[in-house]
Amino acid sequence: MINDATDIILSMENVNKSFPGVKALDNASIEIRRGVVHGIVGENGAGKSTLMKILSGVYEKDSGKIVFDGENIQHTTPILSLKRGLSIMYQEFNLVNTMTVGENIFLGRFREIGGMKAVHKRARELLDSIDCKIDTRRYVSELSSSEKQMVEICKALSFDSKLIIMDEPSSSLTEDELRRLGIIIKELRSRKISVIYISHKLDEIFEFCDYVTIIRDGRVIATKPTSDLSRSDMVAMMIGRTIEDEFPERPHCVKDIILEVQNLNTRKLHDVSFTLKRGEILGLVGLVGAGRTEIVRALFGADKVFGHSVIINGKKVNIKSPIDARNLGMAFVPEDRKSQGLILPFSVKTNISMASLKKLSRRGFLNTYEESKMAERQIEGLSIRTPSASTSVENLSGGNQQKCIIGRWLETEANILILDEPTRGIDVGAKYEIYLLMKQVVENGGSIILISSELPEVLNMSNRVLTITEGRITGEFNPEEVSAKDIMNMAIG
Amino acid sequence: MIKNGNIKRFLQNNAVFIAILVLVIITIIVEPKFLLPENLLNIMRQFGPLSFVALGMTLAIIGGFIDLSVPGIISLVAVLTISFIDRIGQVGALIAGVTAGCLMGILTSIIIISCGALSSAESVFLTFGMSAVYSALALLYTGGATQHMSYLDSSTTIFDTIGTGQIGIVPFSFILFVVLMLTLYVFQTKTRMGREICLTGGNKVAARLVGISIEKSVLLVFAISGTMAAVGSIVLFSRVTTASPLLGQGYETDAILAVVVGGTPLSGGKGSVLRTMMGVMLVTLLSNCMNLLGVSTYMQSVFEGAVLIMAIWIDHRRQK
Repeated sequence: MINDATDIILSMENVNKSFPGVKALDNASIEIRRGVVHGIVGENGAGKSTLMKILSGVYEKDSGKIVFDGENIQHTTPILSLKRGLSIMYQEFNLVNTMTVGENIFLGRFREIGGMKAVHKRARELLDSIDCKIDTRRYVSELSSSEKQMVEICKALSFDSKLIIMDEPSSSLTEDELRRLGIIIKELRSRKISVIYISHKLDEIFEFCDYVTIIRDGRVIATKPTSDLSRSDMVAMMIGRTIEDEFPERPHCVKDIILEVQNLNTRKLHDVSFTLKRGEILGLVGLVGAGRTEIVRALFGADKVFGHSVIINGKKVNIKSPIDARNLGMAFVPEDRKSQGLILPFSVKTNISMASLKKLSRRGFLNTYEESKMAERQIEGLSIRTPSASTSVENLSGGNQQKCIIGRWLETEANILILDEPTRGIDVGAKYEIYLLMKQVVENGGSIILISSELPEVLNMSNRVLTITEGRITGEFNPEEVSAKDIMNMAIG
Repeated sequence: MIKNGNIKRFLQNNAVFIAILVLVIITIIVEPKFLLPENLLNIMRQFGPLSFVALGMTLAIIGGFIDLSVPGIISLVAVLTISFIDRIGQVGALIAGVTAGCLMGILTSIIIISCGALSSAESVFLTFGMSAVYSALALLYTGGATQHMSYLDSSTTIFDTIGTGQIGIVPFSFILFVVLMLTLYVFQTKTRMGREICLTGGNKVAARLVGISIEKSVLLVFAISGTMAAVGSIVLFSRVTTASPLLGQGYETDAILAVVVGGTPLSGGKGSVLRTMMGVMLVTLLSNCMNLLGVSTYMQSVFEGAVLIMAIWIDHRRQK
């Protein structure tokens, strides 16, 4: 690759970014050339979104150098990035639903464009330039995802963007719409606009992208012309790492069936049926948004269910709310520790005891002595590192916070433990402790449903793996017999 | 540096107490009449109605809500209770009045739950609407006329005691306040339900996911808030011996002021009724001192607003 300086629109050199307990970007270096479509692939949590947020100015880099269009960028904000010619299209769109298409494209710039009439006229020209027929006076709330995307693209064009970053642009598109997006991307390329295309879906990467960068664990693994890579090379690089000592030996305690779920249907799930055995770790694998979390939330009574039957220990049960689920011996460690799992300003003790208040109270009065003993027991048993039981839980590291949540459920003597992304954002050492805990739970006769975006984790800990695609269970594997690649392929769909 | 930080923290944590002290000292210097027994007794009496409303409001705010329905409840309970005295006797009227307040709170909570308006913004406006409904009912019930206890045929000895009675030198209403405050304190800190309310206020999503009934917590805090508003209402009309159907106006802001100034954060989950007592003390003293110093009522409102803004500002600094 010859790097003529004027040919590079964006270069990032040794960019680092850390969050408490995690290195999100580790010496990442990427160069994007003018007028190319550059794919970025990686597993969930590999650092793709951190990278984007640093470019747009949502986060600030810890160190490293970013040069955009010949200008060394030290500090930036989302609006400054836009003005420099760097646009980002987020997955969840950044449009005002209650305003029209034209107003959205020129949001906040009505006066400099020259009034509403001019806004709609210019919007029309932009839409025509990408061969799009949407009426500029329609409200954004009436548009389909694909149309919203077109509006976003026009917004980017209206800023004379030189680089457009698309984050998972295909996640809500039909096949036809995807084809149109492909045509528009080619059109952008012919106008010498670069596109960074972030996606899980390898087919699209091969179809649209000239170059591809593979990221893993915050590190850039490789940047290559797409034509030099095969699909299997790419998957191998995405999963990559050797994983021997990261995991304890897989437990083998599987016995009889404890839980049976039949025909679980919700707005996002279609006829999901599966079983869980005593002493088993069942892994659920799928992309974010495929329905993994929805399955366990519905099972736990946290979301509305259209119809299903659940059998626990051979008895049909009716779970209408998390209260029922808890009383049936289920436990749920939700994916977002801070917003769904913990009450942050409260003490470690309160966070541990909160699922066992019934056990701790007599005639309605709490036994605070027993409560302190309970907290001490879990702090010691799980080696939670905290100055004291009355320390506010927000001062603990991610791993120790997660242990508080797990400890909370161990006290309820739950026998079905649902773990949704239990190791997200926590460091390697704490991860290992959580794996050991999981092993301990199943060795004592409990069962675990494990959801994780980290494939190696699921593959090394589970006794059985289900793949989930678009709200359906699409496969069942024995992780000891099947390669990560096959499972990944199945999950990507 | 560390010492410096400690002083800062001490000042932040005890800001109310220090403010009360400064206020009292200034007033004593400028206007020694403050220390006259009549004035001190007067303060304890003024303390009355607001303090009860503020106790209920504290529980609502700890549970993650703000109950703006109290002015309506105060007004409606007052006119209902006075009119009941002649029909069912004073004991019956007292019980009916408190029960009515409790039921109004429960009705508010049922509407909040069935609308699914559990976010604080939505629930605030629902309680605001309920206040309008209760106030309007009070107006409809009385035809807009003020009710007078002195026009009644039956004896009103119980209400006279609540309003102006004293045990030794301490007003009866003050003793009632202390008893209710301690009860609520024990409820909040020592019982399972009290804990569940704190957890709900701290993080509704997390509380729900460990099997705590958010609905029960909502019901409880509004029932308590309604009951306390009713008690405040009875103390208030017993003292002034009349009840206008607009009696409760303005009590919600004063109660929120007292709670926040006391140091219970509006974000929910934390706080305590003991802190609120300090808050009520400050608010009451503030108005008493300003009266003694001859500050106009319009200017007094400016100061009250400033104190509320200061309290929230200090609270934010403390959280950082």
